[in-house]
Amino acid sequence: MTTKDIGPKGTVQKSAEGALDFVDERSGVKTGARWFLFRNIPAGTSWFQTLGFTAMVVFGMQAITGIILAMYYVPDTSGGAYASIQRITEEVTWGWMVRGMHKWGASVMIIVVFLHMARVFIWGSYKYPRELTWVTGAVLLMFTLFMGLTGYLLVWDQKAYWATVVAVNIFASAPIVGPYIGDILRAGPEFGPSTLSRFYSIHMLVIPAGIAAFIGLHLYFIMRLGISEPPWAKRRLRIERDEEDARRRAAREQAAALPGTVTYPAGAPTGAGGDDR
Amino acid sequence: MKPADKRAYDRDYAQAKKTGKPFFPYAIFKDTVIATLTVLGIIILAIVVRVEVGEPVNPATTDFVPRPEWYFYFAFELLKIFKNQDVFTPLIMATFMVPNILIILLVVWPFIDRGPERRIWKRPFALGLTVIVTGMLCYLTWMGANSPAGVAKGGLPVSGLDEEATKGMGVYLANGCGSCHMVAGVGAPGPGPDLTNEGTKGWDNAKMIAWFKAPKPPMPSYASLPPAELEALATFITGLGTTYK
Ligand code: HEC
Ligand code: HEM
Repeated sequence: MTTKDIGPKGTVQKSAEGALDFVDERSGVKTGARWFLFRNIPAGTSWFQTLGFTAMVVFGMQAITGIILAMYYVPDTSGGAYASIQRITEEVTWGWMVRGMHKWGASVMIIVVFLHMARVFIWGSYKYPRELTWVTGAVLLMFTLFMGLTGYLLVWDQKAYWATVVAVNIFASAPIVGPYIGDILRAGPEFGPSTLSRFYSIHMLVIPAGIAAFIGLHLYFIMRLGISEPPWAKRRLRIERDEEDARRRAAREQAAALPGTVTYPAGAPTGAGGDDR
Repeated sequence: MKPADKRAYDRDYAQAKKTGKPFFPYAIFKDTVIATLTVLGIIILAIVVRVEVGEPVNPATTDFVPRPEWYFYFAFELLKIFKNQDVFTPLIMATFMVPNILIILLVVWPFIDRGPERRIWKRPFALGLTVIVTGMLCYLTWMGANSPAGVAKGGLPVSGLDEEATKGMGVYLANGCGSCHMVAGVGAPGPGPDLTNEGTKGWDNAKMIAWFKAPKPPMPSYASLPPAELEALATFITGLGTTYK
């Protein structure tokens, strides 16, 4: 008997393990989790590669604070929306905090997504085989910006109202399809009660669903292809140095074996040494 | 990338993975640190800076500043650059062409830049693009943050105003026209044209009111203003540069 042995397994422990095995046999969660957690990533993976995950976490935070806000928010243009925002900010317990987090979270998410994109761009991480990861990311960027646009109106104060009027007018000024896009966004030719309901529904149902779906696709590609290695990871630099050395060595050997043929262009005198030109 | 380059990359990446480290705990640790710091930052902003409740919406009057959230300032500033409406800088450039070109470039970029090189200093074009686009965005956002709030509280430096025109000027100021237009040097330099000499175009009040009710975007419609205010505003605008200077 070893000291690690703590005696026969209790009924509880046995049935717990049994239940887990039962689920794993049918769903593969244990195996899947083990594959997910313990698969290898390149050793040089850096701090800059945390920004995508951070964007995801901030999106999760926006979802949670957004759900709480939706419990108190009233999309009513005849004063109800404004009053409910006032109530959330001034009366509801921790309401100011939840609204503050949602509002600042929106700005931070845009900054984080932009930085994430900059890192992917500068590292050339969108190159083969990750082109489609980039395309799904580009869609996510547009969704994120659109979240900002539709959310801004919901507060229904002067600044938000007029800024959104102008923004929608910009969409509406596009040739051919513009007027239709304007009507779709406004839910009619004028800004009014249905505009607010429409923005509310787009902001809390349509785009979040789109973002969730595209984050899923984005993550699928990332897990399938693996996270890229930093172009200046130690391993890469070593390989590049070795390649450079090998190239130099080859050139030197060639020059030594066949004097003239490497250092002189065709037609130049050969066999006359290396330094009389 | 040529097929040979692709195979070379696949081989190199497989090698990187083989000599790599497990996702848990190495990547998870870094991810958790940065994400936690970011969320903490948001909470601190929410506690320290707070959110305010602005003035309630009033589609008819009260001064407003049609300013988007800061992350759309760049778009608003673009409108100002292309406000001149001449053949070289038509407004459609800012509202349609430039944004769509940027969006299309963004989406198809990996299919344009397909070389195997990943080190930024060996990709001078990509490096230049990074610097120029980031610089432009920062510059335009900064411009937007510092643009005049628009509404000139003290009135406009225009003389010769009669009673109706004074009322019209009040409507002009109260509705934030000055955050898109300039009169006699007061107001924002765009996206709308300078209205200092608007009267010289010879529009009558009816034509002007029709414009207020159904202007070309991005100017918002003022159809909800009371008729008397529209009339006074039209009198004021159509006299600018002729009767009122
Ligand atoms: C969001 C910005 C914005 C606001 C606010 C705004 N305008 Fe405009 N305005 C524009 C733009 C842009 C144009 C040019 C439209 C075009 O011709 O395509 C314009 C055009 C005009 C014109 C016609 C100019 C010409 O010579 O063609 C007049 C007159 C005018 N605006 C008056 C007003 C008045 C009066 C107000 C306030 C009640 C106002 N605007 C508010 C953006 C704005
Ligand atoms: C809501 C927004 C986004 C979320 C939640 C997100 C999430 C992620 C995550 C978790 C990763 C893993 C690696 C890392 O964290 O860096 C990643 C990688 C990647 N992202 Fe995003 N992303 C978003 C937006 C974007 C945008 C706007 C782009 C570019 C247009 C983009 C392109 C990529 C690419 C190409 C990779 C693979 C990089 C590599 O393998 O090194 N993503 N993303």
